[in-house]
Amino acid sequence: MRIKPSVTDAPILSIRHLAKTFGKNKVLNDIDFDVEAGEVISVIGSSGSGKSTLLRCINLLEIPTGGEILFRGRNILDRGVNIPEYRSHVGMVFQSFNLFHNMTVLDNCVVGQMKVRQRSRAEAEEKARYYLDKVGLLAYVDARPRQISGGQKQRVAIARALAMDPEVLLFDEPTSALDPETVGEVLEVMRDLAGEQITMLVVTHEMAFARDVSQRVFFMHDGVIHEEGSPESIFERPEKQETQEFLSRFLAR
Amino acid sequence: MGKFQELILDIGDLWGQYGALYLRGIRSTLVLALVATAIGCVIGFASGVLNTIPYTKNDSLLKRFVLKTIRIVIRIYVELFRGTPMLLQAVFIFYGLPYVTNNMYRFNSIWLASILIVSINTGAYMAESVRGGILSIDPGQTEGAKAIGMNHVQTMTSVILPQALRNIMPQIGNNFIINVKDTSVMFIIGFPDFFAAHRSAVGATYLYFPSATVEMAGYLTLTLLASFILRSIEKKMDGDRHFELAAADQLVMAAGTYRHRGEKEASYED
Repeated sequence: MRIKPSVTDAPILSIRHLAKTFGKNKVLNDIDFDVEAGEVISVIGSSGSGKSTLLRCINLLEIPTGGEILFRGRNILDRGVNIPEYRSHVGMVFQSFNLFHNMTVLDNCVVGQMKVRQRSRAEAEEKARYYLDKVGLLAYVDARPRQISGGQKQRVAIARALAMDPEVLLFDEPTSALDPETVGEVLEVMRDLAGEQITMLVVTHEMAFARDVSQRVFFMHDGVIHEEGSPESIFERPEKQETQEFLSRFLAR
Repeated sequence: MGKFQELILDIGDLWGQYGALYLRGIRSTLVLALVATAIGCVIGFASGVLNTIPYTKNDSLLKRFVLKTIRIVIRIYVELFRGTPMLLQAVFIFYGLPYVTNNMYRFNSIWLASILIVSINTGAYMAESVRGGILSIDPGQTEGAKAIGMNHVQTMTSVILPQALRNIMPQIGNNFIINVKDTSVMFIIGFPDFFAAHRSAVGATYLYFPSATVEMAGYLTLTLLASFILRSIEKKMDGDRHFELAAADQLVMAAGTYRHRGEKEASYED
């Protein structure tokens, strides 16, 4: 069964009562939210609060143990859903980049388009070059991942995800593995994307990014969305004690 | 010194009479080792891929059953052929086929039988090497491929296997060198390899030691040559340490008239 994107007015993603347990360990519990087109949502919280697991569940790198994930109104946890096809509509940017080591920068951005989207080499290269230009790495098309810096790798990873024309981009702590020096260049690219109404769900420890760029902020604690709201309400007037403590710990640093 | 001269003379005699036989033997040995290693690699990669198809509790019972069965069959295959001597496997398969089919089928070609046996044997070793090679690749590579919508086969063929192949090149080389030497046991079903040439030569001349010297030197030359070639292939696979910035493109772009490479080349012809 193929997923036909954009045929309904349903939100891009609707997460309903999502739960994930590893053995007896409840990592996610009753997570509920929608992602509307053009929205930027930041997910903050201390490590172990389930942020990354949430993202990994959304593109099924982890299989949720309960609840529903509706993509354009269709539950992708149903049997018979073409999971690779679904994933191709949901871009993912990893903390550890995960660029293909056996390919050049250009081929990293081309291979998915050709294999999954069945685009011709010429068409795929044109698109790849367009997005590599966008992230400022057009000069590096012939480089291999091991030859470029962490920040550059992450920008290639963003271009690779964008080249698939995803409906939503998931960022899993995209700057956590980077030198402080190169964090800025990646955040800058992400700010540009937000400015272009690209739908993003960003797990991050960059509070300035969460505050300035996102429309909504989720604070996760113990596997639930403990508090959510506009950046102003979360950062200026947090209501829950855990949120206040988390933020004060962050600001103290 | 006298002994040494005698040896040289004997080898000269042997080569005069049987040189062509030795050379044909070397050719057969090389062809068998090459073909069987290649087929063995194909078997190994196929089993490696089948062996690593992931399944979860959410998958249908049929899928899980099929995948489990595949894994068990591969396991039996590996253990059976890794755990018995190739000499015996040759006899077992070569004489077994006519025996169990009441002479309906038999190996009409010693070549076919030998390639089959050595390939199956190599495949059993390669299956484990490939499995190890696949497991050695960072799981992030698989996740990166899955995240852009690749299925298991695409992930394997485009991302994992090329990297695993590089990692197991030393083992492939190892297997090839082992095959160059161990194909000598195929004399048991009459395969005319380099070692078989020795058996023919000494049968008539009784020059055991001189012929064995020729064989030793011959095999060593083959294997040293193979090591050398394999090393250079590995080096080539690693590629350049440096890369060129596509500087021309950037300059053109800065001027606001970005063009693709192909178009630029065309413009030179104007």
